Amino acid sequence: MSEKESLLTAQIIDNRRVAPAHFLMTVRLPLSFATPFPGQFVMIRNDECDGPLLARPLSVYGFQRQQDHAVMDLLYRVAGRGTSLFSRMMPGEELCFFGPLGKGFSVPTGVKRVLLVAGGVGVAPLIFLLHKGLLPAHGKGIIETIFYLGARTAELLTGLERLCGSCDLKICTDDGSRGYHGPVTGLLKHDIGGFDAGDTVIYACGPKPMVRAMGNLLQDAPIPCQVSLEERMACGLGACLGCAVAVRTGEGKTDYRRVCKDGPVFDLRDIVFTSPAGP
Amino acid sequence: MGPKNKQESHNSPCLAVAIGGLELKNPLMTASGTFGYGEEFAPFVALNRLGAVIVKGLSLEPRSGNPPPRIMETPSGMLNAVGLQNVGARAFIAEKLPFLRQYNVAVIANIFGETVEEYQRVAEILSGAKGIHGIEINISCPNVNKGGLAFGARPDAAAEVTEKVRGETDLPLLVKLTPNVTDITEVALAVEAAGADAVSLINTLTGMSVDIELRRPHLANITGGLSGPAIRPIALRMVWQVANAVKIPVVGIGGIMSAADALEFLITGASAVQIGTANFIRPAATMEILDGIVNYMIRHGIGDITELIGSLNTNQAGEG
Ligand SMILES: Cc1cc2nc3c(=O)[nH]c(=O)nc-3n(C[C@H](O)[C@H](O)[C@H](O)COP(=O)(O)OP(=O)(O)OC[C@H]3O[C@@H](n4cnc5c(N)ncnc54)[C@H](O)[C@@H]3O)c2cc1C
Ligand SMILES: Cc1cc2nc3c(=O)[nH]c(=O)nc-3n(C[C@H](O)[C@H](O)[C@H](O)COP(=O)(O)O)c2cc1C
Ligand code: FES
Repeated sequence: MSEKESLLTAQIIDNRRVAPAHFLMTVRLPLSFATPFPGQFVMIRNDECDGPLLARPLSVYGFQRQQDHAVMDLLYRVAGRGTSLFSRMMPGEELCFFGPLGKGFSVPTGVKRVLLVAGGVGVAPLIFLLHKGLLPAHGKGIIETIFYLGARTAELLTGLERLCGSCDLKICTDDGSRGYHGPVTGLLKHDIGGFDAGDTVIYACGPKPMVRAMGNLLQDAPIPCQVSLEERMACGLGACLGCAVAVRTGEGKTDYRRVCKDGPVFDLRDIVFTSPAGP
Repeated sequence: MGPKNKQESHNSPCLAVAIGGLELKNPLMTASGTFGYGEEFAPFVALNRLGAVIVKGLSLEPRSGNPPPRIMETPSGMLNAVGLQNVGARAFIAEKLPFLRQYNVAVIANIFGETVEEYQRVAEILSGAKGIHGIEINISCPNVNKGGLAFGARPDAAAEVTEKVRGETDLPLLVKLTPNVTDITEVALAVEAAGADAVSLINTLTGMSVDIELRRPHLANITGGLSGPAIRPIALRMVWQVANAVKIPVVGIGGIMSAADALEFLITGASAVQIGTANFIRPAATMEILDGIVNYMIRHGIGDITELIGSLNTNQAGEG
């Protein structure tokens, strides 16, 4: 098994709609493909059609080795032209594929309670983390895992089938069609006071407004939080410096880090938020 | 090269080219800013097979670059406003160069500054470092002493920085031209006269794109540099013009994605080519292009790549 990233042609095994504008794609990979860590991502591109120029980053949602090959699941939302073209690809078709890339989540020792906070398709890397990083540690320290899962509306909740029974699930919808009526960060705000910062860790992934709300919410609660960020990418390899995020450095200064190489997972407290309107 | 050599080379054609004193095993270089410091691509590319690696632009001090968003995809291209973020010349030598030194590949340092003096200092520092085989001056940078107008925008300013850097280094000196000018041949001739060993072109074309829902520019910097296939015909035209104007070698850059694209530039008069944005899309692009050039040469019975360079036939344009 190689520890490095590989570049290959991956064949689509399955590509199905799981919710309005949300798709689950399964691809076949050679056994030599390095086992991805939770939070890592891959870059994919359809070379066969006149699609966008740049590859698109997608988080690993599932990965399994079989006898003579490996399979990877990707859960994606149709956000624009690139993902729309992916959604129309059929089993048997091929993708230009490279990864696994970036630094994933880490599970610190001494953690008893884990909170997973997902907005929309941000559920993908967190479910992979739950299955690959957390459930194996249950009983060996972690005693409680709570999954806060939010979506705009009930029908856009994805990944439920992989969550049932494996953790304490708290559902939130913006329109109140299921579970808590409001954003995940709203429900988390109610609960946050009851957790002990000494043995709790939070993992989060979601759209920018959610990440920003997490930043505000956790300003006063000293619970550590690892967050997976999204930024437009060209190379995904750390070479183009296009995917910059502003972070606080040790000396209290602000500097840029690459989401693709230094992240996509960052300590929420290190992130410098700029005004929602831009720079 | 003797005739015997030529015959033998039909199965493994000779790809070696000389760029102003720099002997390269083949004409394929990686364009500055698109290949990091080489290390990022090592899992995908046999660095020893490249003609040269041109590293991300280096300045005297480290630079943190522009605020995000820094990139935006556009039709057949991308805009970038990275803002010349880099570790600085000294940190490059200490931290990044040792990795590249392990390989048998020419390393060209791309440099920039905000004043002529800064260019000189960077060139001086890098010339003293073991494992740097050439210097490429990026003259697209704004000159703070001239109200921010790019050094490369005017022949006299371009010539001044070339001459001053020439005085600091004995390494082969490439000057990288900006396409954001009225007549690129004037600038090319000026830097040739000022001592450049070769010119490379083109750098990115300044562009812009707007989010109509928010009525905001997509890039925090408002404007950015356009690269990728969208600029290729312009780059090729400029290579054609410059190759006909100067005597020094021309290195072609701009939207080269495939062997066919690279061959277009070589035939038009480029002695070597640089691969930029293609590295992002297919990390092994340089290897595929190299293999494609070799296959083309075998298919056409060309034993030496120099036979191809500048072989464009304009007599009966469009006909066989
Ligand atoms: C590390 C990482 C992991 C990701 N994982 C997933 C995932 O598992 N599932 C999923 O559905 N999406 C994921 N994304 C987001 C996904 O990459 C974008 O939605 C996709 O690139 C949009 O491409 P497009 O051509 O469809 O849309 P475009 O037409 O390019 O853009 C449509 C909209 O999406 C925004 N956008 C473009 N690129 C990105 C980006 N890289 N990140 C966030 N927003 C973007 C644009 O600003 C625009 O508003 C991830 C992004 C990153 C950086
Ligand atoms: C993200 C990015 C960063 C770049 N950084 C530099 C740089 O530091 N110095 C430089 O001279 N050119 C830089 N360039 C320009 C490229 O080297 C090249 O001239 C240009 O992209 C056109 O070639 P292409 O279409 O093959 O990419 C950069 C281009 C891109 C896309
Ligand atoms: S996407 Fe190129 S450096 Fe991150």
